[in-house]
Amino acid sequence: MTIAATIGWILGLALLTGGTMALLRARRWAAGRPARVHWLGGLLRLPRSYFVDLHHIVARDAYAAHMHVAAAGGFVGAVLVVLVVHLLGVESIILAWILLGLLALMATGAFFVLKRRFGDRPARLSGGGFNRLPYSLFAFAFGFILLTLPDAGVAAPYGWSSSLGLIGLALGAWGAAEMLAAMPVGPMKHAFAGALHLAWHPRFERLGAERPVVGLVPTDLAADKLGVETPADFAWNRLLSFDACVQCGRCEEACPAFAAGQPLNPKKLIQDLVRAMDGRGSDADYAGSPYPGREIGMAHGAPHAPIVGDGAMIHPDTLWSCTTCRACVQECPMMIEHVDAIVDLRRFQVLERGAVPGKAPETLQELRQADTQSGRPLSARLDWAADLNLLVLAEGQSCDLLLWLGEGAFDLRNQRTLRALVRLLRAAEADFAVLGAEELDTGDLARRLGDDATFQNLARRNIEALAKRSFKRIVTADPHVLNSLRNDYPAMGGNYEVLHHTQLLQELVAGGRLNPAKRAGGAAITYHDPCYLGRYNGETAAPRALLDAIGAERREMKRSGMRSMCCGGGGGAPLTDIPGEARIPDLRMAQAAETGAGIVAVACPNCAVMLEGVVGDRPEVRDVAELLLEAVEGAA
Amino acid sequence: MAQYEALLEPLQIKGMTIRNRFLSTSHQPVYNEGGRPSERYIRYQEEKAIGGIGLAQCGGATGIAPENSYHYGQIDGSDDSVIPYYKELSGRLHKHGAVCTIQLTHGGRRERWDSSNWLPTFAPSSRREPVHRSFPKEMEEFDFERIRQCYADAAVRCREGGIDGVEVTFASLTLIEQFLSPAVNHRSDEYGGSLENRMRFGLEVLARVRKAVGDDYVVGIRLPGDELLKEGLGQEECVEISRRLATSGLIDYISVVGATPHDYIGTAKIWPSMWLPSAAFLHLASGIKAEIDLPVFHATRIVDLATAERALADGHVDMVGMTRAFIADPHFPKKLREGRVDDIRQCVGATYCIDRVVVGHDAVCIQNAATGREQTMPHVVPKAEKPRRKVVVVGAGPGGLEAARVSAERGHDVVLFERDGVVGGQTILAGKVAWREPLSGVPRWLDSQIKKLGVDLRLGVEADADMVRAENPDVVVIATGGRPNPGYFKGAEHCTTTWDILSGRVEPGEHVLLHDDQGAETGPVAALFLAQRGAKVEVATPERKLAVELGECTFPAHLAELYKAGVVITADHRLTEVYPEGNKLVAVLRNEYAQDMEEERVVDQVVAEHGTLPNDEIYFVLKPHSRNLGDVNLLALAANEDYRVTANPEGTFELYRVGDALTSRNIHAAIYDSLRLCKSF
Repeated sequence: MTIAATIGWILGLALLTGGTMALLRARRWAAGRPARVHWLGGLLRLPRSYFVDLHHIVARDAYAAHMHVAAAGGFVGAVLVVLVVHLLGVESIILAWILLGLLALMATGAFFVLKRRFGDRPARLSGGGFNRLPYSLFAFAFGFILLTLPDAGVAAPYGWSSSLGLIGLALGAWGAAEMLAAMPVGPMKHAFAGALHLAWHPRFERLGAERPVVGLVPTDLAADKLGVETPADFAWNRLLSFDACVQCGRCEEACPAFAAGQPLNPKKLIQDLVRAMDGRGSDADYAGSPYPGREIGMAHGAPHAPIVGDGAMIHPDTLWSCTTCRACVQECPMMIEHVDAIVDLRRFQVLERGAVPGKAPETLQELRQADTQSGRPLSARLDWAADLNLLVLAEGQSCDLLLWLGEGAFDLRNQRTLRALVRLLRAAEADFAVLGAEELDTGDLARRLGDDATFQNLARRNIEALAKRSFKRIVTADPHVLNSLRNDYPAMGGNYEVLHHTQLLQELVAGGRLNPAKRAGGAAITYHDPCYLGRYNGETAAPRALLDAIGAERREMKRSGMRSMCCGGGGGAPLTDIPGEARIPDLRMAQAAETGAGIVAVACPNCAVMLEGVVGDRPEVRDVAELLLEAVEGAA
Repeated sequence: MAQYEALLEPLQIKGMTIRNRFLSTSHQPVYNEGGRPSERYIRYQEEKAIGGIGLAQCGGATGIAPENSYHYGQIDGSDDSVIPYYKELSGRLHKHGAVCTIQLTHGGRRERWDSSNWLPTFAPSSRREPVHRSFPKEMEEFDFERIRQCYADAAVRCREGGIDGVEVTFASLTLIEQFLSPAVNHRSDEYGGSLENRMRFGLEVLARVRKAVGDDYVVGIRLPGDELLKEGLGQEECVEISRRLATSGLIDYISVVGATPHDYIGTAKIWPSMWLPSAAFLHLASGIKAEIDLPVFHATRIVDLATAERALADGHVDMVGMTRAFIADPHFPKKLREGRVDDIRQCVGATYCIDRVVVGHDAVCIQNAATGREQTMPHVVPKAEKPRRKVVVVGAGPGGLEAARVSAERGHDVVLFERDGVVGGQTILAGKVAWREPLSGVPRWLDSQIKKLGVDLRLGVEADADMVRAENPDVVVIATGGRPNPGYFKGAEHCTTTWDILSGRVEPGEHVLLHDDQGAETGPVAALFLAQRGAKVEVATPERKLAVELGECTFPAHLAELYKAGVVITADHRLTEVYPEGNKLVAVLRNEYAQDMEEERVVDQVVAEHGTLPNDEIYFVLKPHSRNLGDVNLLALAANEDYRVTANPEGTFELYRVGDALTSRNIHAAIYDSLRLCKSF
């Protein structure tokens, strides 16, 4: 048998092995719960999903994108031609030269991979098998370059005594083993699982969507088990999605809890889920950054064993450190939905075990019994407005705008925002009303903490109350309320047009109904994007437009817009209060101070409270509505 | 941050929605003229509404009958011509979200017969009233009927004037309390004797008022929780009165006070200065609240947020009266809402305000010179439209601190020199006896404000003219205060000053004569300071009484403390000579009236108080270099117009003197000097 024939056999064997391993891997996913996917549609959309949706994310890291275009583009092209030339034995000088070109491209990509991993390697990148990858890429590329030279007419066909031929064969075999045979389990798993994940994505509607797709699926409260206890409780395509993780650590870099030294690293969380699912059962071979403050090698799990617990794959402190800010999801080039997994895991902890730390149990209890987070009576929601004579929308009445006040109505700080908003609405002669004591908590906090029973109860009753009144739009100064009503209520049967107050105010300014004066001098302003307005609802422009309308000297923090950093106030994190080395709001405030701005503009009651809680010399915290009111009254 | 939720919770009483629990109880700052609310009075109340108050109870002791006098600037509510004024008052308060009541009061024997209409005073019995010194006429049946109808008519006028409710005074030892109190009511008919009889007149008045205003109008009363008076109403009887009134169905709330102004010491208790502790009578209100189902209001020395919140949150009261707290800072609730709690100027309990009122002067706040002067003085100093200027202030007593604060609020660059290591000037000495310590709040607030405003405060630096000029100032304010002056008599050099004593520079002697020829607090404070350190003290004054400059809310406290400490007080004697004899001093006291009568005292120490002499050296060095040569157009200043004088066009800066650096006065004078000059910088 010739060397050429041998490489054909090796390729065939590698494909066979790879295929077998892929089936074995798929059996792991099949252990998960059923999920409805677009089997064919997903596959057909794959090129667009990959080249448009996913590439859009990858391209944020230009180096990685160029590297990946070369390495992956070269590899995928080369594999197809390699199979034609070396497995099927098609003889064509043109094909051979095309193949050489593709392999050269791949080698170039491999060089950049090598440079990144062993040059100035970002801390977020995992080591382990991934450190082998540049060499495997080189092996494949250079192996098949050597093996293709005769086909290109550059060298004579190799004999068994040809050292070039032998080297080519050895490298080619190495390359085929890593890149093809071991694809479903080695570092190349990301390509295999990633492609399928993209085809059968758990939030398929996210692909190509203009606005973030973030609504959660309500828990079936009649099910035998509520939430996710073991890996097998995840839907199968969620298990598949975990396998897509390329361990690039962009999530880790974006995670506020990780930055604050709380025991959470989204990358490790996904890797722990992978290891629990695939039978490795331990995190011992994980080669990335640990959960801050926790050693690697202590976690154990199995496909049918509980995921969360002391000594299990994921410690409860990890689960409860998450602020649900979605920075990880926003950054993930594989489009993995970390936060969905967190909420699924929390649901089991809360609904089946009642295991929720810190002050969260009291708050959930209040939500169940008093319909407010703080346990204050519903009748007190308008206390702050006793002198404002707000119209309370009674059953059967109608108005243009329904002002949803939220829990912030009980908070002295946020009452200032609400008072400013009311004055602005009055100045614009808007037709608005409030629900008064009929407004219950939207249930958002309960939902983020995993207590979907409480969320559903509140949502159902709110929807009933809203059904008895008519209004065109709902406006709120609380992005958590906004998100709940806009994205979570539809699945409960409530469909409303919901606006954030900055969106409405921007509309009023643009329409000439509010005429702010330009600020003359004064402190520069930096705007802090609330996660639930930006990443959850895609609105980053309206608040900035308002600041521009008042003539603010606007400065941007390094992290802003859709890539803003959380204040630490989301997902019930202030209640679960998992200790870290620093406080998230302190970190965020330092970023604000770095801009030299004297004012941090906020647009969320949680952000206001978290950032105002930062002690020491710091920029002042003002809601956009407060700043706008100043400018509008300054003009009057 | 604490939320102060109880304070910010609304309260509904019938149709009256009170937006929060901040209350200013009815009082009379003596701004009105001719029994009609003046614009000054309305602006004063309106400022509290702007500042976010819930209920501004107005019209303190509003008269209802022709015999009521307007000695304290009360409103005359006894005829219909008052109604348009009520409309103006209520409209201005409603505009800013506040509600208001008027307090209807027949003073009974607590009036003067020799003013207003020159009619006699009336009371249940004819015994003399000690404070107003009137001998009242005992009421006859037609007096009862007339007065009942006067109450009803006056209440209807309030309702017609848009006032949200009326408060009928059952307190302050005015007519109805004169019936309630066995110390005053000595009748033997159906209006005297048993509690039922003593309550009869009050209930008749309430029934008549209720019938006149209707069931939906708010009618409340003000009542003592304990008269703290021998033979007067005790706590149990006051609780019983509350219970009976509450179940009568005639009233909607009870506002509780402690003590009764039967005499001077009673006056100093019902409107107490810092002499009484914080929330001194809260327990009395709480005791009544526990027994009745109506809202209970209460005010007395509640000056801070924490105490007010606790009084509400713990269920002691339903509305917390912070009347003097609002005089010190009418924007109290607004600042709380805006998260500027540190900016609240807290009442220190100096009681300069009421002390002036009880002797018939207009109320002004010792530390906030804008209160009661809203027409001319700003509570919020606006930024200057002109370019930034350099202001140098010398001296960080209250006047200098206020000058620095106001100048900085104007947006100017301010340098403040202070010779000592701390700010406060003479207020530090003035607070040297324990019960006067709260006075330190005056400089403390100013200090916190100037720090916030970025004033360049240079402590421990005694500025001279060269240092001031080296700053290239546009304006220089000399607030260097004064130095003690023992007075003008032979042998003054043998005397110690009150400052030496209070500052601890000179140890107290064993036998001490203190000569007070100033008449305000300094003499009594130094005397008490000496006595508390073991000295045997006699205070002599050429005046008819000690502390002649102080009013009835504070001088009784000083006198009570002095007598308790064994101090001997000698009035009508002027110190004319001091000379040494052996290791003693002989002090010669001449009778101020029988001037040929002299007494001698042989003592170890003579302390002499005669105000201060201005520290004006730096002023006179700077004067020739200034543009105005130190002058101010006083006519313009008094008229709140441009007071600038250009006497020396070559001068490079304006030069002003404030406070005791000008001449010996008091804290308020120093602060007002600074505010009215600096607000125009």
